Amino acid sequence: MGDEEEPKEYRWETGYEKTWEAIKEDDDGFLEASVADIIQRAKRKRQTQKTGTTKLGMMRHLYILLDCSDAMSSQDLKPTRLLCTIKLLDGFIEEFFDQNPISQMGVIIMHNKRAEKISDLAGNSHKHVKQINSLNRTSLVGEPSIQNGLEMALSSLKLLPTHASREILIIMGSLTTCDPSDINVTIETLKQEGVRCSVIGLAAEVHVCRQLANQTGGTYNVILDDCHFKDLLYQQVDPPPAAVCLDSSLIKMGFPHQMEADGKEEPLTMCMCHVDSVDEGSKLTTGGYYCPQCYSKYCELPVECRACGLTLVSAPHLARSYHHLFPAANYTEVAFEKQVSLCFACQKTFTETDKQVYSCPNCSKTFCLDCDIFIHDTLHTCPGCATNLSTFQITHTS
Amino acid sequence: MADNGTGASSSLNSTLIKPTNLECKNLYDYLKTRTHNVLEKLYNHPTICLAVYRELPELARQYVIRILFVEQPVPQAMVASWGSQAFSKEHVYVSKVLSELCVWQEANIPGGLLGWILLPTFKRNLKVALLGGGKPWSMSSALEADSKARDVSFLDAYSLERWECVLHYMVGSQQQEGISADAVRILLHAGLMRRDEEDGSPVITRQGFQFLLLDRHAQVWHFILQYLDTVEQRGLDLVECLTFLFQLSFSTLGKDYSTEGMSSGLLIFLQHLREFGLVYQRKRKAGRFYPTRLALNITSSQNKGGITADEDTHKGYVVVETNYRVYAYTDSNLQVALIGLFTELMYRFPNLVVGVITRDSIRQALRGGITADQIIGYLRQHAHSQMIQQETKNPLPPTVVDQIKLWELERNRLTYNEGVLYSQFLSQADFNVLKEYAQSSGHLIWCNKEKRTLVINKSAHDDVKKFWKRYSKGN
Amino acid sequence: MNNIVLKRESNTDFSSTDETSLLVVIFDSNPGQQFLRDNTHVLTHCLDSIIAFSNAHLMQKAQNKLAVMACHSKTSQFIFPGPGKPIDIRQTDGQYEIFTMVEKTIKHNLSKLLGSDISNILTESLLAGTIAMALCYIARMQRIKSPGIKINSRILLVTGSSDSASQYMNYMNVFFTAQKHNVVIDVCALDQHLSLLQQGCDITGGLYLKLPQLQGLLQYLLWVFLPEPPIREKLVLPPPVKVDYRAACFCHRELIDIGFVCSVCLSIFCKFSPICTTCHTVFKMPGPLAVKQKKKKLKL
Repeated sequence: MGDEEEPKEYRWETGYEKTWEAIKEDDDGFLEASVADIIQRAKRKRQTQKTGTTKLGMMRHLYILLDCSDAMSSQDLKPTRLLCTIKLLDGFIEEFFDQNPISQMGVIIMHNKRAEKISDLAGNSHKHVKQINSLNRTSLVGEPSIQNGLEMALSSLKLLPTHASREILIIMGSLTTCDPSDINVTIETLKQEGVRCSVIGLAAEVHVCRQLANQTGGTYNVILDDCHFKDLLYQQVDPPPAAVCLDSSLIKMGFPHQMEADGKEEPLTMCMCHVDSVDEGSKLTTGGYYCPQCYSKYCELPVECRACGLTLVSAPHLARSYHHLFPAANYTEVAFEKQVSLCFACQKTFTETDKQVYSCPNCSKTFCLDCDIFIHDTLHTCPGCATNLSTFQITHTS
Repeated sequence: MADNGTGASSSLNSTLIKPTNLECKNLYDYLKTRTHNVLEKLYNHPTICLAVYRELPELARQYVIRILFVEQPVPQAMVASWGSQAFSKEHVYVSKVLSELCVWQEANIPGGLLGWILLPTFKRNLKVALLGGGKPWSMSSALEADSKARDVSFLDAYSLERWECVLHYMVGSQQQEGISADAVRILLHAGLMRRDEEDGSPVITRQGFQFLLLDRHAQVWHFILQYLDTVEQRGLDLVECLTFLFQLSFSTLGKDYSTEGMSSGLLIFLQHLREFGLVYQRKRKAGRFYPTRLALNITSSQNKGGITADEDTHKGYVVVETNYRVYAYTDSNLQVALIGLFTELMYRFPNLVVGVITRDSIRQALRGGITADQIIGYLRQHAHSQMIQQETKNPLPPTVVDQIKLWELERNRLTYNEGVLYSQFLSQADFNVLKEYAQSSGHLIWCNKEKRTLVINKSAHDDVKKFWKRYSKGN
Repeated sequence: MNNIVLKRESNTDFSSTDETSLLVVIFDSNPGQQFLRDNTHVLTHCLDSIIAFSNAHLMQKAQNKLAVMACHSKTSQFIFPGPGKPIDIRQTDGQYEIFTMVEKTIKHNLSKLLGSDISNILTESLLAGTIAMALCYIARMQRIKSPGIKINSRILLVTGSSDSASQYMNYMNVFFTAQKHNVVIDVCALDQHLSLLQQGCDITGGLYLKLPQLQGLLQYLLWVFLPEPPIREKLVLPPPVKVDYRAACFCHRELIDIGFVCSVCLSIFCKFSPICTTCHTVFKMPGPLAVKQKKKKLKL
């Protein structure tokens, strides 16, 4: 992936969006048709940006660098920048692991010119959410140091195998950074290691952040308000294109199944995940997932076996990410001229207000706008193709 | 020493302590009060079985459907085992309802166990409703297509106009003539209106105000129930009318039905329904009629119109803001008058009135006999769809709701008790003895040591008097 | 001085909730199914049971909604409500008008569908696609509902065909979509055990039932599948079984305990191969087994 050198326009340099000029009254003096049109175009815009078939980095290792400096106590986001961020991160972490089940995440906070790792790379969302939520009691002091944060994340990411996709996401509230040495050297190292750094700024654009994102192939955005912040954050959920220097390999994984002891009660056993945790205490339980290699027991999946190092997942975990790799074909927009009377999927009767309908290139069935969006955003399966054996096979062999 | 007791405020109290509120019965309450014979006669009609089935609690419906195809009695213990342990209370309640409505009966099973068996009539006719068979309903004779068929929007407009006519009459705002003497009699019978003491013209009662604030569905049902009470005096057959009413409630909107084969009594009933807008008929002798939305699903207590927006005619029009302003998008005089019952109207535009809820306006409504819950219920029912979208459960701003309730509670700071005043005790000791006695029996309402006065519950007056006599004799 | 007491409100803790229940029944009427080919009466028997069950669902509450779909190998269709206007019905017996309409519409549309689809009978029913259509339909119902009304949606699948692994990805997509939108998927297997669909029931919180005998289909449907999910907790119903979530490898479609996963496309293989058959990525030769295990060691 090449470096994007073309300077994007700053927000205040782009043409002012005169939304009210785009609205036109129709013959009867109503605005609805024109407003609906604008909404519709916005909905579809997001979709066309998605194109499948590029190689994606599916096994993601993401460090979140969270600014916990003085600047985060500002109240321009309600109630404060930090609390708003914590709230959004909560949802983000859940969604991240929902969509990227075999990925790992870690959290580093930057305050008082230091970096502090509050949760190590791990694939369990509960732990991260707990750590993030405990942050609302931290004292927000001093300046952040991006360099220290990056170095700390890098030292951990460096050790990962070559097929892993490495990413850093910086959430930056401060407009300054206080670094011990030349940050350009660090950026160069990150670039060489293939670590993708994205930055979300909460205040205003900072040159060094733009430089960092551009050099390493990440994105840099400054938020407008909390909704935009959420949008930007959730854009990080979709796996990024694989970096050039990413090797691919086959990884050995175990698919544990719950033991079925015919007729007799399962014995009480201790699970490996809680065996040495002090705070929650270990309990003897029946049932659980057994590593097929060494028969250690775990109470949750996915997990890396502590005894033999095998990654244990369940098949639906993998299946959850398949849609990133095999998205449903994009539909083509066709002007509506009463070709068909109904939307194939939802049985909606097309009326005068449906100016455009959408047709699948494979099965040539016709859909309404809402189904088009539902199918590509959520379902990821074209109902037309999937209900006909002939088109079904086309889509699956290609 | 004297007990110069006087019930000073007794006459005032009786009205204040127990105001009669409008009582709404649902189908279950209505049927519960009928005798088993009437019930069994009613269950001869599939429509009524269907209506009763739908009114049953959720769990009861599952029980009935499970034993619908079973011929023998089912052991009671087995029925109890269908529900999970955590909900055993609900099971008991459900069994009670089913027995009260005569849907199932106890039966002996060989081996000494008690079992449940569905009432044969009920079982047979519910099966007919579900699976077919039996006689067709009385109004479904074949009809040629209507040359001037009426569509749904026409029927809606018609029924609305008819029904509002009744409501308008009640509030006395214009259109005095559009209502028959018969309807007035029902309103009087229901206690929604009463004859004015001076000129004998009907005026609205406090129940009438409460009636106005109910939702349309409940209004129709309440009104019809009152009508049914008088049906036998008119020489009509109650069972026949009920059956027809339920058939009507299960008919399809926008379809025409035939009057062929209907008895003369039913035809009279039909004309009454026509007057209230439950059915539409072009002419009295048209031979066909259209049910309107008012008649559909008349029994179901949780009906809230259609589930989809395009089926729904009941449009909310009220927006309440946290600054106590009420915006009502309506041009109906009736709705404006209703809003005016509890707000201070500020502006009126062709399609919008703006009012503000104030302490005075609410207190005025409360004095008129409307309760806070009714006001809140009215605002909630008619909340604008924009308000519902934001907060589905509670569309109204909580501050406003709380404040209206507080204003109501404010009026309830005084509680009234009928009592007898004891005063002019000769000594502190006498006072103490009587006070102790009254206190121990729980009849003391108020006492003042300095002034040596006591107020004692009126009902205990005789008892206390006797005690005092015994005590003073003993002294 | 109490407020107005509406009788019906005092009972609400026991009576039904104010929610609408939308049921989509998917009936696998593919004539290529094993158990249908043996005996043609079976199809009518199943159809009658499903119609009675559908009407029983509508009988529960006035505001309940119903859709019925037929699933074949070439196409899937909504057979109720069918396309176009509802057909005009005059009662001929004591059955509730709407129930008669449901029965007539379903039979009419299904016979039309079966009549049009006689050429080369294929045994595979594309159930995943039909569920996808049903989800689109449910999504539309959620969109057009009037504000303030809650719809509980569920899908009941009645099928006698087997679930083929070739639809695996589509199945998983529809299961996760259903889970996200709180749509419960129930499965009633008439003939064979369906392990993939059983996973779907487990993921979405639905019930799975392998019918012991076809005769009692209606009774099983009414007992197990008629109660809607909120009431199910109040009834004693068959307990969920433990579901086998092992993966099937892409090369031989066999269930495996330990396998190899492509780091680019997450395809699963039972043996190491130098090239991924799905995304054509060339792999590095396997390092010592534990590339992952020794990740703490410095990469050289």
